[in-house]
Amino acid sequence: MTEQKHILATFDEALGSLRNSVLMMSSLTERSLERAIAGLFQRDDEACAIAIADDEEIDQFEKQVDHDGIDLLLRFQPVASDLRRVVSAMKLSSNLERMADQATNIARRARKLNQHPALPEVELIRPMYAHAMAMFKDAIDAYVRSDVDQARSVVPRDEALDELNRMAGRRLTERMAEDPAQLRGYLNLIFVSRCLERVGDHATNMAEDAVYAVAAEDIRHQQSAAGVRPR
Amino acid sequence: MVSLLEMPETASPITMNEPAPRPNAPVERASIEIEHLDFAYGSHQVLHDVTLDIPPRAVTAFIGPSGCGKTTLLRCLNRMNDLVDGARITRGAIRIEGIDINQPGVDVVDLRRRVGMVFQKSNPFPKSIYDNVAYGLRIAGISRRTLIDEAVERSLRSAALWDEVKDRMHVSGYGLSGGQQQRLCIARALAVEPEIVLMDEPCSALDPIATAKVEELIRQLKTRYTIVIVTHNMQQAGRCSDRTAFFYLGKLIEVDDTTKIFSNPGQRQTEEYITGRFG
Repeated sequence: MTEQKHILATFDEALGSLRNSVLMMSSLTERSLERAIAGLFQRDDEACAIAIADDEEIDQFEKQVDHDGIDLLLRFQPVASDLRRVVSAMKLSSNLERMADQATNIARRARKLNQHPALPEVELIRPMYAHAMAMFKDAIDAYVRSDVDQARSVVPRDEALDELNRMAGRRLTERMAEDPAQLRGYLNLIFVSRCLERVGDHATNMAEDAVYAVAAEDIRHQQSAAGVRPR
Repeated sequence: MVSLLEMPETASPITMNEPAPRPNAPVERASIEIEHLDFAYGSHQVLHDVTLDIPPRAVTAFIGPSGCGKTTLLRCLNRMNDLVDGARITRGAIRIEGIDINQPGVDVVDLRRRVGMVFQKSNPFPKSIYDNVAYGLRIAGISRRTLIDEAVERSLRSAALWDEVKDRMHVSGYGLSGGQQQRLCIARALAVEPEIVLMDEPCSALDPIATAKVEELIRQLKTRYTIVIVTHNMQQAGRCSDRTAFFYLGKLIEVDDTTKIFSNPGQRQTEEYITGRFG
């Protein structure tokens, strides 16, 4: 990435502001996911309520990033790495917003689960959450540090998360047959598992956007193009 | 005088080095080949070892800061610099369709017919619209009225000006708007059926609408002509050209497909220039 200052200081300021909005959005999304999962594991309805309320602020950030990005494109017509930075910031923002939606979904499912006795199968969610959050944090870290290698390393990790989701789904379906009285609870856990699988998908997208921003390389859909089963 | 078309390819008096490595992505077939070109105004060298292939029937844009040598190089392509005292190529060669254009005996008038030029400021002659376009044909010795009429209409149509001037062909070219005058100059260049059209900042004095018309015209013309355009307008280079060459301090820094140059240039200096982080 080019480090030298732009001749137009207003351009650097606008680009810096856009990046800060994305980073702020990322922090809020991370916090929202943490609160939603705390609501699930600690059976804390208040944490769930806060996670759901957080979504509004993140939505507003998404609109702000879109507005600022379009404004930057209109006023400065950036090219090369500058254009990629604007485009990737806007795409990251979209993925963060959808990730925050998953936090809201998890919090809503957790509130439903909290109305009934705890299910030991909630432990199936713990490794999935750890894996999804690690992917998310590494994708953001790669974006912040313009680290292409780190960003690339995030992408293949999504397969392991998909496998954890499949395993959890199988186990919870078995439990539904064994214990139909808890069917709704198991169903809610299946939804939570799917939400975390989606978080991994968004983290993958963000890592791919980070690669594009730094190296101008489009690494999306390479597995599906190679005949490997798509995510 | 020997016509450029009749020049034997082996008659070059210029001692050449080994064929130059082509910088960056080579073109499949070059209309213009520039090899190891050094150029000086007196003792001041302004082009340094420029090696560049320009593909046929495509638009090649020269970009770079003022004084980088892009206009000098453009003017080398039809030997316009011959008119400048002390200006000379000190090394290297320029070949058009394989012929060294600086060989002794090359007919410069014929060269400039084949390699037309449009300047930064429109410069119609103080003549009627018709006579402006017919001028080059008459100089070439064509006197049959019907031939000239056909060529004038064809050229004005090619320059996307015919519909605007067909009912006032005998009014002065000076009566046209700036954008129309520039298209008249393009028509004048096209009338003598060149193979290559050089454009030196052709839109720098035009408003956005006139600029768009000239840019659209360039897009249409490239199916029949090899076009080389010098521009300071990055967006224009991005919109109009197929390939872009970036020059700095008389050196060719990078040449590649325009999309590549403006999305992911290979050289840091190019990146810094096009993103406005220069100097």
